[in-house]
Amino acid sequence: MSDKTTTPREITFRVRRFDPDVDTAPHWSEYRQHVHDGMTVLEALHQLKAEQEPTLSWRSSCRMGVCGSCGMFVNDLPQLACQTQVLHLGTDVVTIAPLPNYDNVKDLVPDLAPLIEKHAAVKPYIIYLDQIEIDSPTGEFIQTPDQREEFSQFTHCIKCGLCLAACPTVATDPLFLGPQALAQAYRYTADNRDCGMKERISAIDIFHGPYQCHLAGACSQACPKGVDPAFGIQLLKRALVLDSIGFGKKKPSVAKIMPLADVVKAIEEFAPPPRTV
Amino acid sequence: MRETRLWSWHLLVIPIIIVLLGLHFAIMHYAPVFYGVSVEEARNFETMIERGKSVSQLVLYILLLAAALYHGLYGLRGIIRELPMTPALGKIVDITVICVGLFIFAFGTYVTWWTFSYPVGG
Repeated sequence: MSDKTTTPREITFRVRRFDPDVDTAPHWSEYRQHVHDGMTVLEALHQLKAEQEPTLSWRSSCRMGVCGSCGMFVNDLPQLACQTQVLHLGTDVVTIAPLPNYDNVKDLVPDLAPLIEKHAAVKPYIIYLDQIEIDSPTGEFIQTPDQREEFSQFTHCIKCGLCLAACPTVATDPLFLGPQALAQAYRYTADNRDCGMKERISAIDIFHGPYQCHLAGACSQACPKGVDPAFGIQLLKRALVLDSIGFGKKKPSVAKIMPLADVVKAIEEFAPPPRTV
Repeated sequence: MRETRLWSWHLLVIPIIIVLLGLHFAIMHYAPVFYGVSVEEARNFETMIERGKSVSQLVLYILLLAAALYHGLYGLRGIIRELPMTPALGKIVDITVICVGLFIFAFGTYVTWWTFSYPVGG
């Protein structure tokens, strides 16, 4: 008996099509295509476009799971097309639709504006209260591996939006900030160089914030980078509760310890040896 | 008010409800065990009025009412506000839930106080 996940064969692709200039509602189109072992959904789409359907639209860029552009609903699961091998899906019919929980721009292109807006709303950057130090830094902050570990996994987010597509709460409550933004809020709040909880509270400590999470965990399952945003939301809740009872982080837990002059000296000290050829 | 505080209270009242509800069960449903009277006797009007005259009973039921109302209405508000709605409508839901809660609390407190101050001998 042949293994369905490796045997090259003809696969039927059911692709949801929608052209706002022509269509009033989305419809499904079917294409037959030969698929070889190792071929990704993204490669299959490129081949489809080249050989059968030149008007088919989707968004993609890096082809290696870094840019997060090619998120699609493949066989009813949000996945990156560039990381999903067609034969590994194990079905003779592969359905491809745009990510749910987003408006559809065209064919497989979702409108990711809500993702970006929610991400921006939580101020996803380090907030340090000394503006003079920010404008004219006099030294560098130190961060130990343990301090980095507090939030390390959340820095791997590539903003692909799969977690929002998988989230059952976003499906019913479009105003819910969602796992991506909330995990990023935690990522910066937990950073020992940050003291921006006060500035983020108006954006995150709201009804549509972390307490709306139903703990389904679908976001963590969908994340192509192995981030656990559902866990991030729970950690954010803990940080918010501690802050609300006065045990929150008041200032960065480290001070600048290395003046810039010493940094330059250290760099010179550990510089590579001069070139010999 | 910060959502964190509302949510924290929602969780904090759970142990309070468990304790007070336990006392309520002991008084109303396990009267033969705790008070040595039959359930029917524990539930008849005269016994209830007599029991209602104790300050501890007054405090118990007003606290139970407040805790259960807060917990229940916070959950109900969460369910309703999860439906697609504008922020303005969300605000209206919040205000309505607060008003309903205050009304039920006022009514429940009135009934408990009425029992507490019911004249001896009817």
